[in-house]
Amino acid sequence: MAKLRYIVLASVGLGAVLLYMLSRASSNTAAFAEHYTLLLVLNVLLAAVLIGLIGYQIWLVKKRIRDKVFGARLTMRLIILFALMAVVPGTLIYGVSVQFLTRSIESWFDVRVDSALEGGLSLGRSVLEAQQNDLIHKAQAIAITLQEESPSSHTRLLDQLRNQLGVQEATLFSARGSVLAIATATDARDAILPQMPGPAILRAVRAQRPYSGIETITGKGLYLRAVVPVNVLSLSEDVRILQLLEPVPAKIAKDAEAVQDVYRDYKELAFSRHGLNKLFALTLTMTLLFALLSAIALAFVLSQRMSAPLGLLAEGTKAVAKGDFSPMQPVKARDELGQLMQSFNTMTRQLAETSAVVEHKQQQLEASKGYLESILAHLSSGVIAFDEKFSVKSANPIAAQLLGVDLQLLRGLNVFEWSEKAPQLAPLVQALTPRFESEGQKEWQAQIELTLDGGAKTLLVRGSRLPAEIDNGYVVVFDDVTRLIQAQRDAAWGEVARRLAHEIKNPLTPIQLSAERLAHKLAAKLDLPDAEILARATQTIVNQVAALKSMVDEFSQYARQPTLNLQTLDLNELVGEVLTLYETSPVPVQTELAPALPHVQGDSKLLRQVIHNLLQNAQDALVGRETATIRVRTELENGLAVLRVIDNGVGFPPEILARVFEPYVTTKAKGTGLGLAIVKKIVEEHGGQVEVRNIEPVGACVCIKLPCIEASSA
Amino acid sequence: MLAFALASIAPITLHAEGLSVKHAELVANEEWYFLNADFSVSLTPALEEALNKGISLNFILEFELTRSRWYWLDESIASVRQNLRISYHALTRQYHFSGNSGNKAFNTLAEAKDELTRVADWKVLDRNLLKKGTPYNAAVRMKLDVKQLPKPLQVEALGSKDWDLASDWHRFTITP
Repeated sequence: MAKLRYIVLASVGLGAVLLYMLSRASSNTAAFAEHYTLLLVLNVLLAAVLIGLIGYQIWLVKKRIRDKVFGARLTMRLIILFALMAVVPGTLIYGVSVQFLTRSIESWFDVRVDSALEGGLSLGRSVLEAQQNDLIHKAQAIAITLQEESPSSHTRLLDQLRNQLGVQEATLFSARGSVLAIATATDARDAILPQMPGPAILRAVRAQRPYSGIETITGKGLYLRAVVPVNVLSLSEDVRILQLLEPVPAKIAKDAEAVQDVYRDYKELAFSRHGLNKLFALTLTMTLLFALLSAIALAFVLSQRMSAPLGLLAEGTKAVAKGDFSPMQPVKARDELGQLMQSFNTMTRQLAETSAVVEHKQQQLEASKGYLESILAHLSSGVIAFDEKFSVKSANPIAAQLLGVDLQLLRGLNVFEWSEKAPQLAPLVQALTPRFESEGQKEWQAQIELTLDGGAKTLLVRGSRLPAEIDNGYVVVFDDVTRLIQAQRDAAWGEVARRLAHEIKNPLTPIQLSAERLAHKLAAKLDLPDAEILARATQTIVNQVAALKSMVDEFSQYARQPTLNLQTLDLNELVGEVLTLYETSPVPVQTELAPALPHVQGDSKLLRQVIHNLLQNAQDALVGRETATIRVRTELENGLAVLRVIDNGVGFPPEILARVFEPYVTTKAKGTGLGLAIVKKIVEEHGGQVEVRNIEPVGACVCIKLPCIEASSA
Repeated sequence: MLAFALASIAPITLHAEGLSVKHAELVANEEWYFLNADFSVSLTPALEEALNKGISLNFILEFELTRSRWYWLDESIASVRQNLRISYHALTRQYHFSGNSGNKAFNTLAEAKDELTRVADWKVLDRNLLKKGTPYNAAVRMKLDVKQLPKPLQVEALGSKDWDLASDWHRFTITP
């Protein structure tokens, strides 16, 4: 923009100079007259440059308007205004000037002046003609006198006659043009060489035609010349020629020249008046054109200057809208626009300060919120906050994980709607709602059992009402206590089993030994029937003691402290080993073993027992069924080696299913109820999981998942 | 005067109007070359009227001599010009001619024009400047000097055929 401004200023300056030269050239000074055409061409070129410049400027402004640059429309309007201000008076003055000029040039030419000058000139001419006639008369008079004399006396007579008639110079030539005699006035200012008449004159005079004329002799002014023939009366002599030369009187010559000069100037002027009109009109037009173009070009620059602060202001506003509070370039203008800019800058500064404070506060707030959130996120307890209408306000990720639902699902949901979206949460809802609704209770605690995908879960739920000044809502904190309770239960049962085993095992050996001793000592002393009774009773005692022992062994096994002898095992191989023992069993066992099952880390003895127990259970469940089958399946699932034992027996009764892994829970008439408990214990010691479920239409499936070596190392 | 015509190759183009070269030649004496040329001129009505209104008509007569150089621009040996003027003297009703050969007055325009178009013995060149046996290109032309017209007429003359009076360059070769 700045560059353009300099170009405009330079063009205007150059134009002013050229215009001055053109106008000087147009006026009568000779200074630039010679280069008038060149100046004209230069001016036209400059005008073209200015027009180009204006065109470019207009294009620029239009482009800015198209691009919606703020202030561009104002610039355009200012340009139009400036241009109008220049064009209207300029055109008016131009019109008047041209009119005036044409009129005044026309008024120089008047018929009277014309005829006066014409008259003056012809007056001069007739004066000269009279003089000419006079001279020729004199010449003829001399010629007649000379004719009567003999040629030899001509030279003598010539000067005498010249003197008599008062002629300045008289010359006598031969017919061929050679000088015979010359007579000059002694008072002649300076003697001149005889002026030879031209051959045309000589020819005319020889043919008896006198000549008279006016000539300008260089350096001498106007001269009258008269040439006449002198017919000599001698046969031997040819015709002679007499020439008289007489200067036009200085006064007359001067006046006549003056008249002729004015006449010539006037004629020239009249002749070229059209051109003159054109000249002045052209100069005027150039001036007008240049003035207008300069005005418009300058208008652009000025408009730019005037609208520039607006653009800055607009930019500042945009920047503020975007949140950039850096102050604008201060404008040096001392007018209202400058004040506006200043107050705008003050405003942005205040805004910047305010927003900085707000931002700082917000950062603090966010930091503390983030701190709280991270605490909540890393908490092992689930936390759910409710508002006073019992809708969920927030919940930490653990809460969703514990409840087995998506966090997004809970958010904003009223507690009464939970049952619809997540039916498994019904027990929780039942526990929460009465406590929420009872106003009096401030804090409460409850243990709730939920059945989720992963099995039964026991949650310890603690609720409290938030103080009214904070939110008037509720907060519920819950922990998964399933494992805790399970561990407590397991520990209790283990203790029972250990004690039982200890207490029972001790008297068993004496009982057995005593019974055997009784049989041994008394058998001989008794008669046959009694001896038989004794033998039977003793046998029963021994058998029952053996049964008791094995039961006690089982108890002690259950109560045993975990000592694993871990080694790398192929689960499929293990299954195969165990199944060889069942080849002769009444129930057929089908196997579906996954071919490339990764190895597991485990105690082969214990795991073999697990498989035994499961197969035993399945067999027991199938007693008395006709199409009984057992399927043993191994596969890889999510990086876990999975062993499934599936039977098509009656399955577990629902009330048992939840507690099937607890000791002494059994569906069999005879059984300790420790089989699955031991299975669970062993599997969990291996870091695995065990699940039991009934399958449709009939049957049960026990599923054991053990971590693989590859998977765990991967 | 030892005078011999050196060259006179003149393809004559006769213009009905305007200015043209009829004939041009260089003649030499011991020291100098002289130009003899013959033009044909016919004034446009506008020019004739201007002359009769007392406006002087200035003509420029130009002569140039160059030597061709195949490797560079032609070398300029000589470039001379002469101003010729015809004007009308209303008082005596005579046409005045002025040029290098002096001032002359004629009663008719035709005589003045004859004087204008006949260029004789114009000393243009020192003989020593030319080398023997080398061909040189000579060029002659005459034109009306519009710049010496009064300014209004100059404006009038801008782009007007009436005021454009100039002969083409008449070129011929001389070999001394």
